[in-house]
Amino acid sequence: MRRTAKGLLAAALACASVAALAASGDPEAGMKKSAPCQACHGAKGISVSPEFPNLAGQNEDYLVASLHHYKDGHRKNPIMQGQAANLTERDIHDLAAYFSGQEGLYTKE
Amino acid sequence: MSALRFVVAVALSGAALSAPAAENNKVTLQNKLAQCQGCHGIEGWKTAYPEVYHVPKLGGQKAAYIVNALKEYKSGERDFGTMHAMAEDLSDDDMKQLAEHFAAQEGKSAENSPPAAGGEK
Repeated sequence: MRRTAKGLLAAALACASVAALAASGDPEAGMKKSAPCQACHGAKGISVSPEFPNLAGQNEDYLVASLHHYKDGHRKNPIMQGQAANLTERDIHDLAAYFSGQEGLYTKE
Repeated sequence: MSALRFVVAVALSGAALSAPAAENNKVTLQNKLAQCQGCHGIEGWKTAYPEVYHVPKLGGQKAAYIVNALKEYKSGERDFGTMHAMAEDLSDDDMKQLAEHFAAQEGKSAENSPPAAGGEK
């Protein structure tokens, strides 16, 4: 009985930590990893060309989904597929946390 | 003299015809914008299927990027059913006007300008 309870607790904690890992990135770490992004999307996610989207203030989970789509080839763009190919899950979440935390895009009503 | 009258009459009727046409065009663009706003104008709105995430914010986005995205949705190069359906009926001119609407800088996006050179930390 006691062993079962301990097992359940351990399983619950493991689930919680996996969920936390998936849910949020570290913006500080993301800033450090963002140098290659900055060349096109700007230091704080305000892009340097009208062809490249602003990332500043974009929804975090949309940025995560976009990087996943580039990485798995669902969304096709030679530059972004190349950039996303070597990103880990942790990298993707950290970068999304950094750019979504900058001032910029907003929901236009 | 009567030829001149005819020319004037034609010119006037042309003006009368073009006025409602412009008005209709405006209404159509408003209708198209309303379709965008059904998702992109609602704070916190999410996609439903097959993946769930917040739809992208468009206020302050680059116009050329929005036009490219709409063209890719229309052609199917960018694969997302809802946006394909939305973009399918848009002309190049519609796309440009919608993109310019979202890209226009407003009070809320006053800070949406490139950071000062050398001011980064």
